[in-house]
Amino acid sequence: MLAIPAYSQEVEMADKMRSEGKIYVLVWIILTILAGLVVYLITIDRKASRLEKKLGQNKDL
Amino acid sequence: MPVIWSALFWMVILSTLVSAIAKSFVMERSGATIYLYSLAAPTEIIIAKILYGFLLCSAICCTGFLFFSVVLNNPIQDVPLFLALLILASFGFSASLSVLSAIASKTNNSSVVMAVLSFPVLIGILLESIKVTKNCIDGLDRSVSMDELITLGAINLMVTALSYLLFPYIWRS
Amino acid sequence: MRKKLSVVWKTLSVLLLIYTIIGGLLLPVPRLDIVNETIRALYFHVPMWFGMITMFTISTVYSILYLRKPTSDRDIVAVEFAHAGLMYGILGILTGMIWANYAWGSPWHGDPKQNGSAITTLIYLAYFVLRSSVDNREQKGRLSAVYNIFAFAAMIPLIFIIPRMTSSMHPGNGGNPGFNMYDLHSSMRMVFYPAVVGWILLGIWIATVRTRLRKAEEKILDMEYEKNN
Repeated sequence: MLAIPAYSQEVEMADKMRSEGKIYVLVWIILTILAGLVVYLITIDRKASRLEKKLGQNKDL
Repeated sequence: MPVIWSALFWMVILSTLVSAIAKSFVMERSGATIYLYSLAAPTEIIIAKILYGFLLCSAICCTGFLFFSVVLNNPIQDVPLFLALLILASFGFSASLSVLSAIASKTNNSSVVMAVLSFPVLIGILLESIKVTKNCIDGLDRSVSMDELITLGAINLMVTALSYLLFPYIWRS
Repeated sequence: MRKKLSVVWKTLSVLLLIYTIIGGLLLPVPRLDIVNETIRALYFHVPMWFGMITMFTISTVYSILYLRKPTSDRDIVAVEFAHAGLMYGILGILTGMIWANYAWGSPWHGDPKQNGSAITTLIYLAYFVLRSSVDNREQKGRLSAVYNIFAFAAMIPLIFIIPRMTSSMHPGNGGNPGFNMYDLHSSMRMVFYPAVVGWILLGIWIATVRTRLRKAEEKILDMEYEKNN
């Protein structure tokens, strides 16, 4: 097990960026991209459902 | 210098093998194939093809090695280990190329498909072989190369077993 | 019922991915030399490989099923999961190259894991080349199913066995500082495992949507064919 204290604060990490709160900007940006892609995937999914309904197909895998 | 020797050796061997083994199904005329299949079961045919390819490959590899050591030089310090590698690699090349050739022969553009299918497989076997060749040239202890040889042997067994199981499906078409 | 179930696992996938991004960027990680903050790549780069292997496994299972009883549905499922697996594989290689450029100094180092995954990608690319060069639908299905099983069998030594036997530059291998499955810090496991599940579910989602579209397409083609005859 790697214990965090064993590596102390000497190793340089992005502590400054975190303390200034700028990391949240990144979190929001990436979440927005994920949300966009998921919404897009949902619309394709529903389009497939509609197409299946039209063709009278059952939806198993 | 030994690095160049090993690269050159495998280049020559590979180009020879590809033109020799890759053709085992692709080059066959359809009439001959049908006649062959009326004589023997598909599993027998693939095993026979692999064994024939194996003998041919080993012969080519050994001749190549002999030729290289006479014409150029022989940097290999551990010759028995290198011969074992040649045998294992020959079987690997023969087994995988035979079955890929059988698949490719059923397609529209068999020579192109054969090249595409065999390229990654050959690279894989070649990377392992070159590693062992380097060990042989450096005269390292045999236990160092054991891992690679066991891997090659395991791949050979796996490819042969799969060919035996799956070849009937290829030939049915 | 089935529809409800699909809503549940698709929602789960999205929630897990949201958690992966928030937790992966914000939760504490071990402070290690060389890797520093890039240790967080574990949450994003490694799940690509888990996703790839899962997709290829499902694809191979359907190829075996196809050989036992050839139906065009099974063929389509095998192709689409191989497709999704290939996508994950390419993303895994690209993310790995970005990370290697930082940690190792150049994008490609001929590391056994890099070579193995590159060869795997080529093997599966060849699968699609093979499919595109056979016309007869049944023959295409059978040949590509056989090749798919070979491809999966070839992938196992390339990804799992060879990299483990030779010294790899990957963190956690051969004395490099970093992480591997056995000394993963418990705070990292809390993000890593959900990330793996989330990405796998997303891959299944994409593959099933493509499968359904392909089946619908197939059905339309059949209907047109019947109309013309």
